[in-house]
Amino acid sequence: MTNKWIYWFNEIGQEYNNTVGKKCANLGELTKAGFQVPPGFALGVEAYKRFMTETEAQKRLKEFLKDFNADPNNVADTLKFEEASERMRSIVESIKMPSDMERTIKEYYDELCRITNCKDAFVATRSAGPVSHPGQYETYLNVSGPDNVVFNVKRVWSSTFNTRSIIARARLNLPLDFDPIGVAVLTMVDAKAAGVMFTINPINGDISKVAIEASFGYGEAVVSGNVTPDRYLVDKVTMEIEERVISDKRAEFTYNPDTKEMEYKELPSDKRKIQCIEDREIIELARLAKDVENHFGCPQDIEWSISRSLPFPKNIFLVQARPESVWGKKKKESVLGKKSGMELLFERAFTPVRVKI
Amino acid sequence: MAEEKKFPFADEVVLSPELEGWEEMYPPQRLFSKDREDWEKRHFWYQDKIHAPEPLYPLDDIFQSAWQIALSQFNTRVFCIPPAQGVAQRILGCYMYIAAVEPPPPEVIQEKAQHFGKRVPYVFENYNKLWDKWYEKFSELGEQMKSLKVIKEFEKYVPEEEVIPYPKGYTQAYELIESFNNIVNMIIKAWQWHFEYLNLAYLGYLMFTDTAKKLFPGIKESIIGKMVAGAEVSMFKPEEGLCRLSRLAMDKPNVKAILKKDISAYEKIKELNSINEGKAWFEEFEKLKDPWFFVSCGSGWYHYEGSWINNMDVPFNYIKSYIERLEKGEKIERSFEEISQERERLVNEYRKLIGTDDDRKSFDDAYKIVRTIYRYAEDHLFWVEHWLHTIWFEKVREFGNLLVKYNVLAETDDIFLFNRFEVPMLLEDLATSWALGEGAPTRGKYWQEKAKKRKKILEAAKKWLPVPALGVPPEEVAEPFTVMLWGITTEKVGEWLKGGGGEVVTDVSEIKGFASSAGIAEGPARVLKLMEDVVKLQPGEIMVAPCTNPSWAPVFTKIKAAVTDIGGLTSHAAIVSREYGLPAVTGTGIATAVIKTGDIIRVDGTTGTVTILKKA
Repeated sequence: MTNKWIYWFNEIGQEYNNTVGKKCANLGELTKAGFQVPPGFALGVEAYKRFMTETEAQKRLKEFLKDFNADPNNVADTLKFEEASERMRSIVESIKMPSDMERTIKEYYDELCRITNCKDAFVATRSAGPVSHPGQYETYLNVSGPDNVVFNVKRVWSSTFNTRSIIARARLNLPLDFDPIGVAVLTMVDAKAAGVMFTINPINGDISKVAIEASFGYGEAVVSGNVTPDRYLVDKVTMEIEERVISDKRAEFTYNPDTKEMEYKELPSDKRKIQCIEDREIIELARLAKDVENHFGCPQDIEWSISRSLPFPKNIFLVQARPESVWGKKKKESVLGKKSGMELLFERAFTPVRVKI
Repeated sequence: MAEEKKFPFADEVVLSPELEGWEEMYPPQRLFSKDREDWEKRHFWYQDKIHAPEPLYPLDDIFQSAWQIALSQFNTRVFCIPPAQGVAQRILGCYMYIAAVEPPPPEVIQEKAQHFGKRVPYVFENYNKLWDKWYEKFSELGEQMKSLKVIKEFEKYVPEEEVIPYPKGYTQAYELIESFNNIVNMIIKAWQWHFEYLNLAYLGYLMFTDTAKKLFPGIKESIIGKMVAGAEVSMFKPEEGLCRLSRLAMDKPNVKAILKKDISAYEKIKELNSINEGKAWFEEFEKLKDPWFFVSCGSGWYHYEGSWINNMDVPFNYIKSYIERLEKGEKIERSFEEISQERERLVNEYRKLIGTDDDRKSFDDAYKIVRTIYRYAEDHLFWVEHWLHTIWFEKVREFGNLLVKYNVLAETDDIFLFNRFEVPMLLEDLATSWALGEGAPTRGKYWQEKAKKRKKILEAAKKWLPVPALGVPPEEVAEPFTVMLWGITTEKVGEWLKGGGGEVVTDVSEIKGFASSAGIAEGPARVLKLMEDVVKLQPGEIMVAPCTNPSWAPVFTKIKAAVTDIGGLTSHAAIVSREYGLPAVTGTGIATAVIKTGDIIRVDGTTGTVTILKKA
């Protein structure tokens, strides 16, 4: 009997980290906790393993790598890695998936289409490593139709052989031909705007704030840093928007139905500098952020998306949540040095206030 | 911005020729002087818009000179706040400038630390008991001042019982001199007591602000204010009283009808007393009057502001508008319970966010300390600036009346044109002329001419826009009042520099201040530079004022938003705006100078920005 390798989001949670990869596990955890996450399913690392070993994929890669020699610490060898990557990816992508796997993925996809009431629903296929490799593996957006889904799952797997990944593994002396990851297949939100938010102010570590970054279109614009997003700061207690910086957002990342590609589209000049989400949406996002933080018990870095077709507040989706990496890693230390009120008073009395002119 | 990042020195300020002779109104120690030039130029002086937004009448200056001593001594000699010295005052062109005195030498800081360590914890541990004692002695002082006897007229001959069987030995001449000396002593003593716990209350507040900011670096000052401020303080009682009286009239149609009329308070009282129900209502009014309507129509710092008890039109107008609102089914009372609940909610929720138990413990302790004493900062204001000042002004006018009666002065309030060292001269002049016998003249003509001249100078001073500050800004400030009350911060001084050295700035279209109450409002501005202008305010206007105080509370039901020159997040305008949900930006430094009545402005109380959209 083979191990289970595919799961609905509501079947998994944080404890599935090593089984389905962190991103899938977190999406599962959010789904189970009742947050609105785009419906979807996860392929475990087992699926990758099966594909690589049950087909001739791994064998062919090993064969190819026998003659491969390059120094990952030598910049001059980068080109060699690029060529190898190209070759390895084309090997992996050209191999047919075991037919039972292909059938099962298509069944899950059909079910997804049924749940969302869409024919050939648009989905994203996202990589999910058991350990974080931020930005290393690839994600494909707006995938539609069963064959495309199957193909793009393979593309995500093959992204473990992209240049930067194989160089990274070579540097660590890890095998180049095998790096099992999970894949999340989740329905696309027809995003009018999207972005990220932190349950701590990343600038000064203030735990009483939710910091939101938002831009028009899909979240990739914000995550990639290609667009300067609007920024909002919401106080967790008063739930007031305390700061808002409306940026010149230039372009939105969006789906072009003609080319069937995701692309940056220049925004008309009258739209570039307007606030991209409503105040009530900002406040609802902050409320969700607080709940997510409470659920996970530590500061979170959350990706979200707001649908253009659903009514508020049903239009708000969480598409990722992970521990905030900068402040969250710091040890929880006393900032007041265990002082009593009277000691704090003395400290104050002895310290002049500096005035800089 | 000024190139050298400094303001002019006092001797570089050019005053209008109409102000000529202003110096002689004030005692010499209160003026900038050549002989103290080195020391004065080492300090940074800024105009005190909180206590003296307007030109100082010489006798009203008594409060100022009294607080200079009192505030300073509690820092330097009593509680010994180690690096802090006093706050010095100087008068320039009839406006008062103040400066935090430079820190003492290191060995003095050491010595003071010893005393501070012993005295300050004692006060915090025993504060409730100490407050009871304070209140007791202060009420007693007020009663003494009320019962001070000021002669109404001179007797032709001392009555016989003062001669036989035992001569009293002194006369009304002495009593007049003595009574003024006494009342001066009383007001100075009251001002000593005013600061008894205030320095520590402010220090406590600053400590709590530091603590909160260490835990939550981006916490808004307005939130800290809400966490600390009390609702059941004396300063809210006058308004509470008016609400109660308004409700009381609601089921008495005849009383209500009289109160709603467009006639003077004097006529209303007459009509009320002509019917039984009205009489009963007015009795209730009278019961609340002392102490709760001994509240200044302004800040309490100027004799001409008047108090409710001698400007009955003010409370009666408020009652009228409250009744009208009650008829529309509106709620007039502020819910103090809601305010307290909101305060507790804020504290609890922020507390929950704290990352470690140790910090939570420190936070709880810091909060307990500030809450113990902060009430004082709110309570003393009613008892000193409102209640006692009302009594003082009434009493001083009795001296004024006497001087008018004997032609020493032309008008009662002209007494305020003479400083507290000069008034005894006028009284001695009068007493001497009585003692000398029939036909001995006073120098009435001389005093009256002086009064006339001084009135003109003060009128001219009102039209002058004083420079916001003098000298070179300091690098650090250790004095708690300077930081908290006057809000002397990097940003504040920067704003003043932007406002320029006393020239009228017209090209500024955006002003920054404290984000004191969230929200955005747009509308026509009403600049209330003088307190008596309050009556001109139209519903829907945005109030722009140097600062506000509790007797203005009913005004806040009329306006769309509030902007002040001075005052932080715990200032009156900030607190009341938050309660009424009006946007407010306080402590702008220059709003009344830059904005003109009729300008269309936008107040963003969330970011602390005021924008002039259209000039009138």
